[in-house]
Amino acid sequence: MSERKTKLEKIRVFVDKMPSLSTTVSKVLEICSRPNTAPNDLNKVISLDPVLTGQVLKLINSAYYSLVNKVTSLTRAIIMLGLNTVKNLALSTAIIRSVGQVKKSKALPIKEFWAHSIGVGVMAKLLAVERGLPLAEREEYFVAGLLHDLGKIPFGDEYAEVLIHARTTREPLIHLEQRVMGIDHEEVGQMIASKWKLNAIITDAICHHHSPLLVIPEHQALVATVALADFYMCLFDIGYAGNRFPDEEQLAPLLEMCGLEWCAVANLAEAVDAEIKKAEIFLQI
Amino acid sequence: MIKVKFWGVRGSIPCPGPKTMKYGGNTACIELRFPEVNRHIIIDAGSGIRDLANFMLVNDLPKGPIVTEIYLSHTHWDHIMGFPFFVPMYIPGTRIKVFGPVTYEDEPLEAVVGGQMKYRYFPVNMGELAGRIEYCRLKEDPEIDLGDGIILSTTIVNHPITALGYRFTFRGAVFCTAYDTEPFRNLFVTDPNDPTYDELIAQEGERVACEQNQVLEHFFTGADLLVHDAQYTRHEYQNGKIGWGHSPIEEAIAAAGRARVKRLALFHHDPERNDDQLDAMTQTYCAPNGEEPMQIFFAREGQEIIL
Repeated sequence: MSERKTKLEKIRVFVDKMPSLSTTVSKVLEICSRPNTAPNDLNKVISLDPVLTGQVLKLINSAYYSLVNKVTSLTRAIIMLGLNTVKNLALSTAIIRSVGQVKKSKALPIKEFWAHSIGVGVMAKLLAVERGLPLAEREEYFVAGLLHDLGKIPFGDEYAEVLIHARTTREPLIHLEQRVMGIDHEEVGQMIASKWKLNAIITDAICHHHSPLLVIPEHQALVATVALADFYMCLFDIGYAGNRFPDEEQLAPLLEMCGLEWCAVANLAEAVDAEIKKAEIFLQI
Repeated sequence: MIKVKFWGVRGSIPCPGPKTMKYGGNTACIELRFPEVNRHIIIDAGSGIRDLANFMLVNDLPKGPIVTEIYLSHTHWDHIMGFPFFVPMYIPGTRIKVFGPVTYEDEPLEAVVGGQMKYRYFPVNMGELAGRIEYCRLKEDPEIDLGDGIILSTTIVNHPITALGYRFTFRGAVFCTAYDTEPFRNLFVTDPNDPTYDELIAQEGERVACEQNQVLEHFFTGADLLVHDAQYTRHEYQNGKIGWGHSPIEEAIAAAGRARVKRLALFHHDPERNDDQLDAMTQTYCAPNGEEPMQIFFAREGQEIIL
């Protein structure tokens, strides 16, 4: 068996062992992505998963009340705090819990890696706001940003060498992955997306965030936005996902695809810091 | 003693003009003074706070630097729009503490309220203020000791963003607010013929809505003065205003009556409501009733009440 085949096999085994995205989470994703979620649907879909219900209620209690466990049912939470609040909490909780269960990467410092992922998620969402997208579409940007680098997790020990090499040569990481390992994190991401049955647009964000021109026109704006958010996080060293030196030639086409000016992106610096701090609460559950 | 003064009683947007001279056109702002302990509290920073600021500059500033606390019911614009015009904050020595709820997904209170003071909206930036301003996020809390014998409790009311009702107790006097709010209601499907109907959820929804309304009534039980949302009539409410976060007058009166409130100030008047209409509504809703010991009135700008 060739060396490339062995490496691919190892990655395949790793992906196979990854936990599936639970049916509940897929359903929460589906229901919460609708612009007009019905209270009954939301209540039912969250209630299907007692752990998720518990986490959502815990968050609600810590966010709104100084009395512990005051809100003890989703029905009460929805009537008291409104549908959108509960919906957004459930969505973020479900997603972060799923990715949190993934086995740790050997080469990447996991805390820094999730800081990068959350950063890209919140930045993608802020850019969606900047682009004037309706509220209902913004969550998908967050999820796409959060998951875009999932494909890096299954890489083994040799990835540490790739990362060192990337730092010294300043060569874009994705090129090095191909050259050294014969496979890159977008391809591995494709395997995970297919295992998790993620929808087409999120899958495109995972598989093409370094080449948004390759996706179908309807998905291009989201994928380019995630790529731009990734560029920003790498450039300003927020978190760490192995790529300190983004490909600067990408910037102008990305801005064009997103219909944004760089100054508008740079102006989000304070907002993105604040959003990252807020999003971190989900990791502490 | 709590001295209460209304500086703004309108909802939504200021509506000055000849048709609103009697009740006033400024948005929400209520002043509480506690003379025995020399404490000063402001509830909401609607456009009414500008006149209050002018009053304080003439009457309070000569006695020493201004120290006050502002409690925001929530951060919708009509409740914070006067904040940049609260002149004491431009005067060195002033100390202001701003309290209020923020919706979980939102930015911190400082950014939401102070964020109005950016050059794109206003010629003075937050960083240029001479006074000292502190911000503190409030949650629902059954008892907060404010010192000097003043006890505050807060409760979540029913509005599209997180909004708090306040209950101040001082030496036996109780002052309460419950705006912007509408009665809690069952949001779930209650029609058994609807395919998504779920009997348990429907029943729980009914129970919870009822309980939350009771929680709110309990919150203002026995208040010497309750300032309650009363933006709509029941007819208006039922015709397109459900879910907007404001109460029908009839519901406010009924709830306050059940809670044995002593005085009820109907508040947050619709900006479309003119003086003549409010006078006519006073006849309809506030007429003394032999069986009804509660005094009811439509709050008026400049009105003072001592508790």
